[in-house]
Amino acid sequence: MNDMIFTAIVIAVKILVVLAVTLGLGAYLTWYERKFAGHLQARRGPTVVGPFGLLQPLADGLKLMTKAPILPKGIDTKLYYMAIMMALVPAIMLFAVVPFGPSFKIMGHEVKPIVANLNIAILYVFAMGSMAAYGTLFAGWASNSKYAFIGSLRKAALIVSYEVVLGFAALSVILLAGSMNVFDIVDSQIKSGIWYIVYQPISFVLFLFCLLAESGRVPFDIQEAEAELVTGYNVEYGGMKFGIFPLAEWYLNVLALCAIATVLYFGGWSGPHIFGPFSGFIWFLVKTFGLLFFVLWVHWTLPRYQAKDVVEFAWKYLLPISIVNLVATAFFVYFKG
Amino acid sequence: MIKLKRLRRDDSLGPLESVLFLDFIKGLTITMKNLLRKPITTQYPKEKITPPKRFRGKHGHFVYDGTEPPSLQAIQGFMSFEKGKSRCVACYMCQTACPMPTLFRIEAVQMPDGTKKVVRFDMNLLNCLFCGLCVDACPVECLTMSDIHEMAVYRRSQAVIHMDDMEKIGATNAKTVRELPDRIWRNDKERETLWGKVKWNF
Ligand code: SF4
Ligand code: SF4
Repeated sequence: MNDMIFTAIVIAVKILVVLAVTLGLGAYLTWYERKFAGHLQARRGPTVVGPFGLLQPLADGLKLMTKAPILPKGIDTKLYYMAIMMALVPAIMLFAVVPFGPSFKIMGHEVKPIVANLNIAILYVFAMGSMAAYGTLFAGWASNSKYAFIGSLRKAALIVSYEVVLGFAALSVILLAGSMNVFDIVDSQIKSGIWYIVYQPISFVLFLFCLLAESGRVPFDIQEAEAELVTGYNVEYGGMKFGIFPLAEWYLNVLALCAIATVLYFGGWSGPHIFGPFSGFIWFLVKTFGLLFFVLWVHWTLPRYQAKDVVEFAWKYLLPISIVNLVATAFFVYFKG
Repeated sequence: MIKLKRLRRDDSLGPLESVLFLDFIKGLTITMKNLLRKPITTQYPKEKITPPKRFRGKHGHFVYDGTEPPSLQAIQGFMSFEKGKSRCVACYMCQTACPMPTLFRIEAVQMPDGTKKVVRFDMNLLNCLFCGLCVDACPVECLTMSDIHEMAVYRRSQAVIHMDDMEKIGATNAKTVRELPDRIWRNDKERETLWGKVKWNF
């Protein structure tokens, strides 16, 4: 009985911490991105609200929340509202399988800093990634606007093609690790002492492409292509209803996928013990934010592909490469492992 | 002799380039260089750039103060000028040259002693496109344009400027501008912080 209460409390605390951290971080990533984008273009980014513009996300949130709610004509009201949740929830759910660090002991119980220690964690990531497409699709369909609709169609095409590549890319790592559990994957990397990016550089590049595509980042952000689609599927949303979409897609989704990539390719929390007891957690965050930095850097540098090229690229080049890579890995594991 | 460097670029990338994403990396280095550079932003309401000498801003009237050109000296006997007031002779040349002539309201009266006095010179700057043709047309170097460019107003009626406003501008801003050497930036230091050093190709 005592055990059960303890487990329940631990899970509740984990959920609260993950929700608070990710949502807060998501909001502050907007500040980080604006600052970063500014400096990449020799500008300054936000400077006025608070020191270094640090209060800008709060001001933005306040502004978005106090906007007059406007519903466009001819929308499908139920879907219109549902799309917001359909976009946000999968993005948050992704964090359920992110291991933030090594397991530790509290009062004699082993606690793993992960909300749900699934043995099919990577599959779950793919599932949630595909679920996010529904939010976009519903948003596009419900808002009765051609821009939104085209944007959502593009996103659907994109997700369908890149999910496949993502699956094959991650599968080679899973073959090496012999497990889909994130803890097992990290443990096997720590045991062998070599991160999987050394074995699987091609797979990592493919994963990176899929990460960019899934989270609607340049060069694959065809679903929101500002120049041609205004802002794509969320063009008919206003106020905080609009704010949720970029939050979910651009920040939470990217962050979660970066964390997963860290687990798969960069040995999760492995690293020298130079930060004392929190070393593992800090290494994990450092790696995740390093990847995030790279994603933002790419986003604010490269131009955008054309819609037809993006899907063609996935099916004609990325998919064959990933399959060849997978088969080669399979042979490697069969004969060497 | 100016040397031209021609850049040629094939449609398709070479095999090495496309496999190693060399073109991506080139782009990424450029943005990274920018990231390490100092921002070139001018934070507008706090810092302001001085407009160049030939900037065409709010209009002004040069005043009657002894700096008149010969064209005016020849006819000043027929005008009733006051020191420190506009030296306009109400010839309507500015209005004639203007692409939007109706923005001017110029009126002159004949004084009892037979001289001419300009009593009204209004310009509705909402209609003005700041082309500067009126300034070129003025035969007595009266009408001018200053470097004042912050002209937002709360009411449309406030955008109409009158002769006394223009006299003030002519005696202050426009006068400073006139005395500057004819160049784009007032000082090289200011320009170089913004645009870097310019090497002239003489
Ligand atoms: S600047 Fe051009 S448009 Fe404006 S008053 Fe002079 S001539 Fe007319
Ligand atoms: S051209 Fe010059 S002198 Fe003639 S009316 Fe206009 S401002 Fe006055």
